[in-house]
Amino acid sequence: MKRLCVVLTIMALAALIVVPVSANAEQPPVLSTNELVENSYKWDGETVSFKGEVLQDLMVRTDGTWMNLSDGNNTAMGVFVPKDVTMPAILRTEDYRTVGDVVLITGVFHRVCVQHEGETDIHATSVTIVTPGSTKSNPIHLDRVVLFVALVGLLVLVLWLYYRKPTDRTRH
Amino acid sequence: MVRRVWREDFRIIGYYTGLVTIGVGLLMLVPMVTSLVFREWASALDFAISAALTLLVGYVLALVSHTKNTPGLTHAMVIAAGSWLVAMVLSGVPYLLSGHAASFLDACFDTMSGYTTTGLFLLQDLDHISQGLNMWRHLLTYVGGQGIVVLALTFLIGSTGGAFKIMVGEGKEEKLEPNVRHIAILIWRISLIYLGVGTVVLGVIAMANGIKPYLALFHGAYIFMSAWSTGGFAPYSQNMLYYHSSAMEIASMVFFILGSFNFALHYAVWSGNRREILRNVEIVSFTITVLTTFSLVCLALMQRGVYPNAVALFRRGFFQLISGHTTTGQSNIYAQTFVLEWGPLGMLATTIAMAIGASAASTGGGFKGLRMGIIVKGIATDIRKLLSPERAVVTGHYHHLHDNILSDGVVKGAAVIVVLYVLIYVVGAVVGMAYGYPMVNALFESVSAGSNTGLSCGITQASMPTLLKIVYILEMWMGRLEFLSVFTMFGFIATSFRSMRLRKVVA
Repeated sequence: MKRLCVVLTIMALAALIVVPVSANAEQPPVLSTNELVENSYKWDGETVSFKGEVLQDLMVRTDGTWMNLSDGNNTAMGVFVPKDVTMPAILRTEDYRTVGDVVLITGVFHRVCVQHEGETDIHATSVTIVTPGSTKSNPIHLDRVVLFVALVGLLVLVLWLYYRKPTDRTRH
Repeated sequence: MVRRVWREDFRIIGYYTGLVTIGVGLLMLVPMVTSLVFREWASALDFAISAALTLLVGYVLALVSHTKNTPGLTHAMVIAAGSWLVAMVLSGVPYLLSGHAASFLDACFDTMSGYTTTGLFLLQDLDHISQGLNMWRHLLTYVGGQGIVVLALTFLIGSTGGAFKIMVGEGKEEKLEPNVRHIAILIWRISLIYLGVGTVVLGVIAMANGIKPYLALFHGAYIFMSAWSTGGFAPYSQNMLYYHSSAMEIASMVFFILGSFNFALHYAVWSGNRREILRNVEIVSFTITVLTTFSLVCLALMQRGVYPNAVALFRRGFFQLISGHTTTGQSNIYAQTFVLEWGPLGMLATTIAMAIGASAASTGGGFKGLRMGIIVKGIATDIRKLLSPERAVVTGHYHHLHDNILSDGVVKGAAVIVVLYVLIYVVGAVVGMAYGYPMVNALFESVSAGSNTGLSCGITQASMPTLLKIVYILEMWMGRLEFLSVFTMFGFIATSFRSMRLRKVVA
C-alpha cells in the first residue's frame, strides 16, 4: 500500500510538472501578413508567431528596434523589438546581392498600436534566427552581352547617319 | 470639315516623337549609373541594353522622318499622346529584363503608372529589386510629373513654333514666360531646387530613423520624387509603413501638397506675389474639399471605432485622405485595411477626394481644383442671375493669378472635362464589377487609376484580369493627358485611314 502511495505520488508530481510545461510550450500560430491583416480584429492583442526575411534596414530607436520582415511576394510586416527583449545578432539583411536572415519572432499583434500611433505591428517578445542569410548570385547572361553589343553597333551606325552633314541627310 | 493627312504630317510627328524617345533613352543612363555605383552588374547591363534600344528607336524615328517643319496643333497633340505610349513601351524593357515583371503588359502597366504619377504597381517581389530599378521607378514618376515632353523641350527640341502646343497637349497649359523653352527650364529649375532640398530633408530624417547613411540619401531622393510628383511609389512594398516614422510622413506630406499646387502658383509666389496663396480659387477649392472629405472620413472612422485615439486617427486618416486628394497615393496603412476597417463611407469619402484631385498644371490628376472652383462659381452665378431682376447684368468672377470673368465658355470647358473624367471612372468601375469585384472597391480602384492617385484597396495585382489592366492603363494615360491630345490622336489615326482610302480611290 505504501509503495502504491509512493508510486501514485510520484506519478501525480510528474503529471503536475509535465502538464503545465506542455501547455506553456505550445507555440503560438505562425501567421502570414495577409492572415494577420485580413483577420486583424481576430488577432488583435493575441500572441502570434511570424516568420520572414529581414529587409534591408534595422532601425534602432531609443526604445527599441524596428525591422520589417518579408514573408512573400510584396507582403511584409513591421516588427518592433523593445529594448528589454534579447535580439540575436542579425548579420545579413536583404539587398540586391544578399538574402537576409530569416527570423521567427513571437510577439503581440496590434491591429492599431496605441504606442505607435495606430500602426499595424507586432511587438516581439522573442526573436530567433531560423535560417542565416546568404549571398545571392545575379549572373550576367552572355546572350544579353551579345544583344547589347549588337544594339550598340546599330546605334553607332544610326548616329553616324544622323549626325552626318545636314546637306547629306536632307538630300534624299 | 476634317483635313486630309499627308506624308509630311507623319514626318513631323515621327521626328518630334523620336526626339522625345531619345530623351527617354538618355534618362536610362541615370539608373544604369546607380546600378554601377551599387555594383549591381546584371542590372546595369539591363539598363545599358534598354538605353541602347531606346536611343536606337529614337534616332531611327528622327532620321527617317527628319523635317524642318514645325508642328501645328494637331501634330502637337498627337506627338504628346503618342510619345507617352512609345515611352511606356520602351521604359518597360528594364522591368522585363529584371525578371520582376510577370509579363510585358505588367511592365507597361508599371511604366504608365510611373509616368502618369499614379503609383499602382504590378511588379513582383518589389522588396528584392535592385537600386537601379528603384531609381528608374522613381525617376519615371519624377519626370512624368513635370512631363516627358517638357524634359525633351528643355534639352532637345528648343523653341520651335509648335513647342508650346505640344506642352499643352501634355497638360501644362500655363504660359508662365513668353519663350516656351524658358517655361520648360523654369519648371525644371523649380523642381530641381525642391529635389535638392527634399532629398536632404527626407534623407536626414531617414538617417535619424536608423537607416544606413549611404542609403538614407537614396531613400530621401526616392520619397521626395514620389511625393513631389504626387506619384506614390516607395522603395519597399510597405510604402510609408516601412519607415515607422511620423516625421517621414509629415515631411513627405508637405512635399506632396506643394507638388499638387499649380506651377503658375509656385511661380507667382517665387516672384514675390505671396498673397496669391490666400486668394487663388484652387487653394480655396482645395481647402474646402479637404475639410469636407476629411470630416466624412473622421465620421466613418469614429463610427466604426477604427482608431483608439485622435492622434492615431489623424496620423492614419488625414495622411491617407490628403494623399488621395493630392492624387499622391502614398500609404501608411495596408491596402486591405481600406476594405476591412474603413468601411464604405470611409472609402467613398477617399474616392471623392481622389476624383477631385489636385490643381491644374501641377503634377497631380483628377478633376482639378480650378475646374471645381469654376463649376461651383458658375452654379452660384446662375442662381444669382435667377434671383436678380431680369434687366440686371450679373457676372461671375474667379481669382486665378488675376481676376477672371466667368464666361459660359469657361464653365462649359471645365464641365466637359469633369464629365469625361466621370466617364472613365465609371467605365473602369463597370469593368471591375463585371469581373466580380464589389461596387465600392471597383469604383475606388478605378478612380484611383483615372485620377492618377495610386491608392489601392487590393484589386491591382499581377493576377487581376488582363482587360482590367488594359482599362486601367488607358485610364491613367487619358487622365494624365486630360483627354484632348488622346482624342486628337484617335481622330488623326481615323483620318489617316480615310486619307489612304481616298488616295486609293483617286489612283
